[in-house]
Amino acid sequence: MEYVLRMKGITKSFNNVEVLKGVDFQLKPGEVHALLGENGAGKSTLMNILGGVLVPDEGQIELFGKRVRLSGPHVSKSLGISFIHQELNVVSDLRVYENMFLGAELTDRFGFLRVDEMCRRAYDVLSKLGISLDPKAYVRELDASFRQIVEIARALLEEARIIIMDEPTTSLTDHEIDNLMALIRTLKSSGVSIIYISHKLKEVFSICDRYTVLRDGRLAGTGEIADTDEEQITRMMVGKSVADINYYRPRPLGAPLLSVTQLSCAPFFRNVSFTLHEGEILGFTGLAGDGRTELFECIFGYRRAAGGEISVYGRPVRIAHPQDALKAGIGFVPKNRKENAIIKDMSVLQNMSLTALKQYRRHLLIDDRRERAMYWSYKERLAIKAADPHTPIVSLSGGNQQKVVLAKWLEVNANILIFDNPTQGIDVGAKSEIYHLIMQLAAQGKAIVILSSEVPEILKLCDRVFVMHQGEITGCLERSQADEEQIMLYAIGVKREGQVPC
Amino acid sequence: MLNQTERNVRQQVGARASWLWSEYSVIVAFLVIVIVAALADGNFLSYTNLTNILRQVSIIGIISLGMTVVMLSGGIDLSVGAVLAFVGGIALLALNSSQSVTLALLAALACGALIGFLNGVMVSKGKIASFIATLGVMAAARSLILYIANGGSISGEVEAYTLIANGEIGGISYPIILFLAVTLLVYVLMHKTPFGRYVYAIGSNEKAALLSAIRVDRVKIGVYTLCSSFVALAAVIESSRLNSISSASSGLAYELDAIAAVIIGGTRMTGGRGKVLGTFFGVLILGVLNNMMNLLNVSPYLQGLVKGLIIIIAVLLQKKE
Repeated sequence: MEYVLRMKGITKSFNNVEVLKGVDFQLKPGEVHALLGENGAGKSTLMNILGGVLVPDEGQIELFGKRVRLSGPHVSKSLGISFIHQELNVVSDLRVYENMFLGAELTDRFGFLRVDEMCRRAYDVLSKLGISLDPKAYVRELDASFRQIVEIARALLEEARIIIMDEPTTSLTDHEIDNLMALIRTLKSSGVSIIYISHKLKEVFSICDRYTVLRDGRLAGTGEIADTDEEQITRMMVGKSVADINYYRPRPLGAPLLSVTQLSCAPFFRNVSFTLHEGEILGFTGLAGDGRTELFECIFGYRRAAGGEISVYGRPVRIAHPQDALKAGIGFVPKNRKENAIIKDMSVLQNMSLTALKQYRRHLLIDDRRERAMYWSYKERLAIKAADPHTPIVSLSGGNQQKVVLAKWLEVNANILIFDNPTQGIDVGAKSEIYHLIMQLAAQGKAIVILSSEVPEILKLCDRVFVMHQGEITGCLERSQADEEQIMLYAIGVKREGQVPC
Repeated sequence: MLNQTERNVRQQVGARASWLWSEYSVIVAFLVIVIVAALADGNFLSYTNLTNILRQVSIIGIISLGMTVVMLSGGIDLSVGAVLAFVGGIALLALNSSQSVTLALLAALACGALIGFLNGVMVSKGKIASFIATLGVMAAARSLILYIANGGSISGEVEAYTLIANGEIGGISYPIILFLAVTLLVYVLMHKTPFGRYVYAIGSNEKAALLSAIRVDRVKIGVYTLCSSFVALAAVIESSRLNSISSASSGLAYELDAIAAVIIGGTRMTGGRGKVLGTFFGVLILGVLNNMMNLLNVSPYLQGLVKGLIIIIAVLLQKKE
C-alpha cells in the first residue's frame, strides 16, 4: 500500500466563493507531511473535509485503499483520523485520564466508571510515548505542551492512524517544542501518519518528510522535503511576484501628533513613552504577552490606564471611552476581526457607516442617500469588492472586510490610525493591497501605528520599530538598523536599552 | 463548468427563497391563521370582532414592542409585568390624591422611566446579566405594590381617567390607536435612527460596537428606559380599563406573553436580529389564536397549551434559515 490517504480533485465553495479548486493530496504510511500555505489558502478547509467537519462539493477520498464518504466528524474518527485543533479541546478542570476518555468512558455493568482501568490504559499509552505523567493529574496544572500531549495520547487511545496537527507549536516554548518533536518521531516510527500544518518553516524542515503547498485553493506544489529549500517553498506559498515587492516609500515627517508619556496599566504594561509624527509609520512588535495590544486599547479608550499622559498635538487629552479617542482623531482597526470589528448580522453599508452614523442624521433620522454616497465613495477609493451595499459583511473576503473596517475610521477623519494585526486571515493579494493602502495613508500625512507579531510585515512598512517585552519597551530601532535578529533579541528581553531615546 | 453554473443558480434561487421566508414568515403564518380562523367561524371577520382582538392585544402589544428593543440589544426584561402593576397602582394613587388625569399620567411615565433607568444602569454600568437584574426588579416591584395595596386592589376615583382605555375616535378605541402609534414609533426608531442601528450592533457584537466608538452603556440605559416607559403607558391603559389595579394579579405573567410575541415575531434571543413588524404580527398571532379559541369554545385551561405549542413551532420554523 503506497498511500494511506488519497484525496483527488477536492472542490469546495462557500457562498459561491470557491475555496478549494480541485486539490489533490496524498499521504504515505508513517510519514510526517507538511501542509503549507498562507492564511486563506485552503489548508483548514481541506483538513476539515478530512476530519468530516465539511463535506466536499466534488472529489474523491480514498482511505487505506478504499473509497470513503466522510459525512461527519464521528465517521472520520472511526476510520482512524484524528484532528488536533490549534485551540486544544482539552478540559482543564478535568484530570488527564478523564480528558483522554472524554465521551468514551469505560464503565462496568452497573454504569459506574472504571477509574483504575482507564488510568492503567492512559498510563500505558503515555509510557509508550515515553512520557511520564500521572494520569490523575489535573490538566490545568500542566504546561501547555502537556495539553498537546494529552490530545495526542487521546488520539492514540482511539487508535488513530492519521493525526492532523494544526499549528501545534504556537503556544509552546523551545523546550516544549523539542519534546513534541521527539514525540512525533516516536509516533512516526510506530507507523502513524501525521499531517503537520505550520507556518514555521524551520520546524517543517527539521521534522517533515514531504510537503504539499496550497495557494488560493489550488495545489501549488508537492514533493520531498529533502529536494527543496525554504526559499522555494516560500515562493510556492506566496507566488513569487508578491514576495519581494518594495512597499516602503520615504516621505517627510510632520509635527509630533501623538505623544504618550509614562503610560501604565498593570499588569499589562509599564511606563511606556513614545511620540508619533504626522506621516510616520511606527511598528510595535514582540512576543505573546508583551502588552502591545493592551497598550493601544488603553490609548484608544477601551481600557483604563492607571497612570501616564496622552497628548494629541501637544495638548493633553483624557480618553476614557473609544468615543473620546474618536474625538481626538484616533482610529483603531483591531485584531481578530470577527470578534472585535465586524457586526456579522449587518450589511457592508451598515458596518461601514457605524462609527460615523450621526454625521448622516437629518431631522433625527439616518439619511439613506448620504449613507449610500459614503459607501460608493469608499468602495471606489479602497477598491472594496462587494456586490452591493446590502451584501452581508460576512460574505466578503477577509481583505475586503478589513477595508470596510478601515473606511469606518477614514470617514470620521481619524488622523491617527492604529492597526492591530492588519493582515490576519487575509490572502496574499489582499495583504499587498492593505500594505499599499497603509503607505498611501501615511503619504497623505496620517500617523500610523502597526502592531504585529510578524516581523517581516513590520520591516516592510515601518519607519521606526518599538519592541516590547513583558509590558516594557525594550528597544526602539530606526528602519535602517532594524532586522529580524535585532528585534528578536529585544523581544525575548536579552537586550534592552533602558530608557529608550526615541 | 455547466454543472458549476447550474449549481450556482440553484444556490442563488435557494438563498433567495430562504431569505424571503426568513423576512416574511411571520406574516405568512399570520395570514394562514387568519384564513383558518375565518373558515372556522363566520363571525371572526366581523368588524366588531377584529377591533375587539386589536383592543385586547394592545396592552401586551405595547409591552412587546419595548421588549423587542431590549431583546434586540441582547438583553431581556423580566420586570415588565410587575412594573405594570406597580406603575398602575402609583398612577391611580396619584390620580386619587390630585384628582388630575394629567398628573397621574406624568407620575406613571416618570415612575416607569425611572425603573427602566435603574434596570439599564444595573445592566450596563453594574455589568449584571439582564435576566438577573430584571428578575430582582420584578420581585421588588411586585412586593412594593402588594405592600402599598396591602395585598388588595387600588381603585380610581376620577371618572375621566377611565376614558383613556374606553374612549374612542371614529369608532377606533384609544388603546388601538396607542398600540399602532407605538408600533410606528418603534419602527422608525429601530430602522431609521442611529439609536436603532446601535441597538442592533450591540445585540450582534457588543465588543465590536464599543470598538466602533458607540456609547454602549448609554444606549443600553436608553433601551431599558424606553421599555419601562412603554410598560408605564401599558399600565395606564390597564388601570384605566378596569379603573383598578390588583396588586396580586395585574400584569401577572405579562413578561412571558411579551417574550412569546417577540420570539414568534422572529427576534433572536441573543439579540442583533429581528424586526419590529415581526413583533407586531407576533402579537396579532397570539391575539387571533386566543380569540379563535374563545369563539370555538375551547376550554380556557387549554389555551396555554396552544400558546406554548405555537411558540415552539415558530422557533422551530425559524431555525431553518
